[in-house]
Amino acid sequence: MTGYPTTLVEALDRLPGGDARGFRFLTSEREERYYPWHALRTEAHRRAAILSATGLVKGDTVALVCPENHEFVLSFLGASVGGFVPVPIFPGATFKASDHYVDTLEHIVQAARSKVIVCHSKNLDVIAKLKERASAKDLVVLTADKDFEGVAPPFTPPVVTPDDLCFLQFTSGSTNRPKGVAIRHRNLVANTTSFLGPAGLARTPEDVGVSWLPLFHDMGLIGFVLGTLIVDLPVVLFQTSTFVRMPRLWLELITKHKGTITYAPNFAYDLLTKRVTEKDLASLDLSSLRVAGCGAEPIRARTLQDFAAKFAKCGFDAKALMPSYGMAESCLAITFHQRGTPMIVDKVDAAEMRKGRAVPSDAPDALELVSCGVPFPGHELAIVDESGKAVGERVVGQILSKGPSVNDGYFENPEATAESFKDGWLYSGDLGYRADGNVFICGRAKDLIIVNGANHYPQDIEWVVGDVEGVRRGNVVAFSVMKDGLEQLVVAAEGNSGDAARLKADIARIVSETFGLAPMHVAICPVGALPKTSSGKAQRRKSKAMWESKELEEHP
Amino acid sequence: MTRQELIGLFRKMATEIAEKDFSHVGEEQKIAELGIDSLGMLELVGAMERELEVQIPDEQLVGIQTVKQLLDLVEKRVH
Repeated sequence: MTGYPTTLVEALDRLPGGDARGFRFLTSEREERYYPWHALRTEAHRRAAILSATGLVKGDTVALVCPENHEFVLSFLGASVGGFVPVPIFPGATFKASDHYVDTLEHIVQAARSKVIVCHSKNLDVIAKLKERASAKDLVVLTADKDFEGVAPPFTPPVVTPDDLCFLQFTSGSTNRPKGVAIRHRNLVANTTSFLGPAGLARTPEDVGVSWLPLFHDMGLIGFVLGTLIVDLPVVLFQTSTFVRMPRLWLELITKHKGTITYAPNFAYDLLTKRVTEKDLASLDLSSLRVAGCGAEPIRARTLQDFAAKFAKCGFDAKALMPSYGMAESCLAITFHQRGTPMIVDKVDAAEMRKGRAVPSDAPDALELVSCGVPFPGHELAIVDESGKAVGERVVGQILSKGPSVNDGYFENPEATAESFKDGWLYSGDLGYRADGNVFICGRAKDLIIVNGANHYPQDIEWVVGDVEGVRRGNVVAFSVMKDGLEQLVVAAEGNSGDAARLKADIARIVSETFGLAPMHVAICPVGALPKTSSGKAQRRKSKAMWESKELEEHP
Repeated sequence: MTRQELIGLFRKMATEIAEKDFSHVGEEQKIAELGIDSLGMLELVGAMERELEVQIPDEQLVGIQTVKQLLDLVEKRVH
C-alpha cells in the first residue's frame, strides 16, 4: 500500500485544506491569481456539473483549447471530476496564418471525437472559424471565462477508477493524421510518483515549482500540473508567451518564490544565458533551486555548462541540472539523471558515431553527449538494432521502454498503435546508447524535426512547400541538421534555375507563415537531383546525407 | 514617438535579437521573409513592449504579416 492516490480525482479530493498550498498563476495581463487546493477542488466540481449539463457522459472527450493557464487548469480538472476526458490542444498561432491552425484543430477534434470544446474569449474568433467547417457544425462551444459563471446544476460525480482514461495527448502525428496518446489514471500515477518520488526528484514538503511550459504539452501539463497535484506540490505558473517576451521573469519568479524545481527545453537555457545582463544578475538569487531539469529536445552540454557558469554568481548550483528523457507515450518521463550529482558528459569520436558506435575520444572535434540518466524502478529499458535484437554497451540502437508508465496506445487508432507498441514495449523512435548504466540520446530513427521544443513533421512541411508555384509536389524534402549543437531546418526542392531566387524566398515565407519556423537553408535543386525511391518518392534521409556531404546539386 | 523612431526601434531590436543586419528593413516588409521564427518575433515584441512600456495581447498578433501591421499595433498602444 503506497501513500499515493490512485487517480487524479482522488488526488484532488485528498489534497490538504487551508490556504498555504496551491497553484499561483500569472495571467497574460501579468495579474496574480492564487488558487489554494480547496478552491481548485470546489471550482472543479462546479465545472464538472456545468460540463455534464451539456449532455456529456462519463468517458466522453472534451477538447480544451484555452490560452489562459488558470482557466485551462480549472476546466481540465472540471472535466476530470465529471469523468470526462480532456483533450488539450495548442491554443493559437501568433505570427502565423490561421488556416493551417484551423486544419490542425479540426483534425484533432475529429480524431478525439469531441462533441464539446472549451475555449476562451481570447480565441473565440478562431473557434468560430472551426465552427464554419462542416465536421464541426454540431460542436458545443463553452467559453471558459464566461460559461462557467453562475450557479451549477445539481450533479453527482461518477466514480473514476485507475483504468479510466485520464486525458488524450495529441502531440504526436502529422497534421493530417494526428495521434492521441491515451493516458489512463494508472499511467499518470505510475509516472508522476516515479519522477517526483524518491528515485526521481524526491519531492519534499518545502518544494515550490516554477514553470512557464505550455500546458498542452506533457512536460508542462504532467510535470507541473497533474503530477504536482498527485504529490501535493505548490507551483507558480506563468504563460509561455510571457516567458518568451520577458525571459528574465523566469528567474525573477524563482528568486521571488524561492522556487526549488523548474524544467525547460534546451533552447530556454540558451536564451537566458544570452539575454540576462551582468546588471540583472545582481537582483537574482537562484540558491533555492535544487532541480533545473532539461528535456523535450536534444540537450547540448555546452548550453547547460554556460548557463551554470553564468548564474553561479546568483547562487545557482550546477548539480541542480537534470538532463532527462521521455515521451508522451510513456506519460512524460523515461529516464532521469540522478539528482544532486554533476551532469555526465560523454565525449565520443564523430566518425565512429556515424557508424553507430560511441567510442570515447579526447580529440578536439569529439562529439559531446549528455547523459539522460537511468530508468525508474519498476520500468525496463532496452536498446535494440533494426532486427529487434539488444545491442551491447556503447552501441547505438532504438530505445524501447516498458512498465506501468507506458500507455496502451493511441486513441481509436490500432494501426498507429501496432507500429509503436509491441509486446508491452514502447518503440520510442529515438536512437541512443548505454554507457556505465546511463542512457545517452543521439538521434532519431524517425524523421521528426524538433525546434525550440516543438515537434514538426517533415511531411507537413513538404506538403505546404509542394503548393509553392514552380515546385513539383513530391519533389520536396524537409529534414533537420545539427548546427552548433542546435537542430535547424533545411528544405530542398526541385525547380528551374531561373526561378531559384524567387523559390527560395517563397518557400522560406510559406514555411514561416505556416509553421513559425525560419529555415536555416533552402536548397533549390535541378529537376531530378533529389534521390528518389523506385516509386518516385523523394528520399529524406538520403537527401539529408547528400546535403551534409555537399553532394546535393543546387542552383546558386 | 514618431513613426520614424518606431521603425528605428524595430530595426535595432531585430538586429539585436536575430544577430543579423536589419538596419534597412522597410514597413512593407513581410515578417515571414525576415528569417526570424515565431519565437524570435515574440521576443522582439517583448523587447519593444519593455522599451515603450506597453503591452500587446497575444491574440492581436494572430494574422500580423507585415512590419507595418505590427508597428500600427504598437503605435495604437503607445498613444
